[in-house]
Amino acid sequence: MRRIAHVIVKEFRQVLRDKPMLAIIFLVPIVQLFLLAFAITTEVKHIKLQVVDLDRSSVSREVVRTFAHTDRFNLVGYTTDLREVRQKMRSWQTQMALVIPPGFGGQLRRNLKPQLQVVIDGVDGNTAGVSMGYARGILTEFGVDYAKQHWGPANLGVIPEQSASQGSTADLSVSQSSASQLPPGQIVQQLTQRSVQFQPASIQFRPATMEERMWYNPDLSTQQFMIPAIVVILLTILPMMLSAMSLVKEKEIGTLEQLMVTPLKRLELLVGKLIPFLILSYVELSIVMTVAILFFKIPMNGSYVLLAFLALLYLFTTLGLGIFISTVGRSQQQAMFIAWFFMVFMIMLGGFFIPIENMPSAIQKLTYLNPMRYSIQIVRDIFQKGSSLRFLAKDVIPMAVFGFLIFTFSVVKFQKRVK
Amino acid sequence: MVEARTFRVALGAANRTSGRANGGTLAGRASDRGLAGAAIRAFAGILGSRAGNASRASNPTRGRILAIARKEFFHIIYDFRTLLIIFMMPVLQLIIFGYALNMEIQRVDMAVVDFSRSTESRKLVEEFSGSKFFRPFYYQEPVSGLDDLFKSRRARAAMVIPADFAPKLRASPNAPVQFLIDASDANAATFVRMYCTQVLFNYNEDRGIKTLIPFDVRTAILFNPNLKSSYFFVPGIIAMILVMISCLLTSITITREKETGTMEQILVSPVRPHEIILGKVLPYVALAFADASVVVFMGLVVFRVPFEGSFLLLVALTTLYIITALSLGLTISTRVRTQQVAMMFAQVATVLPTIMLSGLVFPIASMPKLLQYVTYIIPARYYLLIVRGIFLKGSQLVHLLEPTLFLAVMALVLLITSVRRFSMNLER
Repeated sequence: MRRIAHVIVKEFRQVLRDKPMLAIIFLVPIVQLFLLAFAITTEVKHIKLQVVDLDRSSVSREVVRTFAHTDRFNLVGYTTDLREVRQKMRSWQTQMALVIPPGFGGQLRRNLKPQLQVVIDGVDGNTAGVSMGYARGILTEFGVDYAKQHWGPANLGVIPEQSASQGSTADLSVSQSSASQLPPGQIVQQLTQRSVQFQPASIQFRPATMEERMWYNPDLSTQQFMIPAIVVILLTILPMMLSAMSLVKEKEIGTLEQLMVTPLKRLELLVGKLIPFLILSYVELSIVMTVAILFFKIPMNGSYVLLAFLALLYLFTTLGLGIFISTVGRSQQQAMFIAWFFMVFMIMLGGFFIPIENMPSAIQKLTYLNPMRYSIQIVRDIFQKGSSLRFLAKDVIPMAVFGFLIFTFSVVKFQKRVK
Repeated sequence: MVEARTFRVALGAANRTSGRANGGTLAGRASDRGLAGAAIRAFAGILGSRAGNASRASNPTRGRILAIARKEFFHIIYDFRTLLIIFMMPVLQLIIFGYALNMEIQRVDMAVVDFSRSTESRKLVEEFSGSKFFRPFYYQEPVSGLDDLFKSRRARAAMVIPADFAPKLRASPNAPVQFLIDASDANAATFVRMYCTQVLFNYNEDRGIKTLIPFDVRTAILFNPNLKSSYFFVPGIIAMILVMISCLLTSITITREKETGTMEQILVSPVRPHEIILGKVLPYVALAFADASVVVFMGLVVFRVPFEGSFLLLVALTTLYIITALSLGLTISTRVRTQQVAMMFAQVATVLPTIMLSGLVFPIASMPKLLQYVTYIIPARYYLLIVRGIFLKGSQLVHLLEPTLFLAVMALVLLITSVRRFSMNLER
């Protein structure tokens, strides 16, 4: 016991003496937290929009204004040449173009169903898909508003289809009276298409509408989702890197042999080396949690005790990985690269910013081998949903199994290596 | 013919060098690995023979640079594990980014609480099961149990159809249906909401209700009409790999010489500081190009990413980017003493920002203003525009003038400061 304490003291001194290392341990996580928390947004904002207004009517200007009003679009310029749009996209100066054809306003007034065109740079598929959705949404809203304003509120943007015309006589009378409120173009069009009387939104046709409740995260904040996961990532990087590097360093400069000839037992050496990192990890966890809760105002709905306990379980995995790397790597550089390789794999396939459900099923099965998959889910659920152990069991059990296996395997491998 | 001869000459040179000091055993070891070994031996031989020729042709600078390059090359080959990781990493990332990165969610599990139990409500549920977005299942227990359902993640959304749904569909202005969505993943929740709106819209349309929009909207998608994410990420990964190798590896290799004390040994030799730098950097440039070629090849063959632009322009601007990244690596190596700090620093200062802040994954325009200004000092930001533009849009130099200029200025400033600091450090 005394011997373990000596190793702990030695290890602490070694870490605390190395000023740049200390800065890296304590400053870097904070920097990373801020960087990641602000940079990771899957939201799409400020899409560079170019307007090709060939109509120049009051309506077309109104359309453009609705786009200029949101922070989703940034109006970058007007042009009359469609070829210029392509050139501008090649030089990344525009991402989307709204093409209003000549005669748009006039056709709209006569209700001839004119066309609008939206040209999108598809290189970034995700952004393009989202901006297409935005543009459609804005244009639909504009269209409904236009219909309301110009054709009276009686329609409210909802009309029945012509084919469903089993209306009673009472319906017919209603339809005639409200038909006068409809724009003439509509009626002409319908009459020419089929000689059926127009029916307004009648008693049989009431729309089902949506009433939504966003649970756990009503403001749909990305940070609330990402920051708990960043906590896990820091809990992975620090213990894994520190333990791997510190063990390899002793090996590289030959002090490991010196420690071996002392009466210190191998297990004692390992325990003595790991405890300081465990403590450092907890210190870091509390710093990051404090910043997350006080600065980013991330609600913590679950139990702190549960989180601390499960963090300990997870630390077995990451410290175990660190020991494993130290047995595989010969030099610090190698250890660093191997650790880095593990990290990229774990982060990419851990559901950190790529949702696991969206992956192809072969890769999804691969993610079950990734301990970070479980820990990210657990920490997110504790923060956001306040889940108790009962609900987390299906993640906690595999995580604990992984921790146990990796830790024992690495310790055994380390013991053999050292002999 | 000529190639075969060069190869033989190279092999001969390799055999000749293998007698000499350090490289010999390594080349021998490498040759055990079959074809790869032969290639390595040939390359080492070329370096060796060139060095020999050059020194014979009384060009001592070139000879010394190549000698250092050869030494560094053997360092790289010797560290087989690192080399493996350097080549595995891009391939792994390519596969993950190419196949797995997909922000749109599908097949959402949805609990249905049907209080209405009418033909209308059944049709609504059918509409949901008919869409590819949802997997609805009936949930008989009380609504208060939905919280448990979300917590155990058996459902991501729930639809509550009120008891008066059917009569309201006939009489009220509208018949509300309640949707409870697990919004812990905000992005996914947005998609779920969008899908719900879509399905409800279809349901209303099936019943003969149409939303009236007085115009049609047509969309045209340029350059990547199927919105494939692999087209976007494959060229992007080149930017990341080049930074990783040119900046991270280079900064480590110089600090390693400092840490182990071999830098002094090199300094007392007649090699000049700028020759050391060039010699040390050359193999990494070759490595970076090799790695980038692997990605380009896989991208073109496996992912079938189109290549619209000029290959020459890509090579030229890639070289510019590599110079920028190398200078950054040199700057780091002049400021730190140990490998550990250099690695940590290079990772935090270059690799992480390249992944997070360059626009590789997350759009810069969506970041807060302050962070957007930070992105201006990240070389990958400009290179991404260049490489994606050339690959997918067929952009020419005219279109890429702005990023090229930024990159050139950055390279110049970094190169001058790093070389000056480096020589100062060495001569002291």
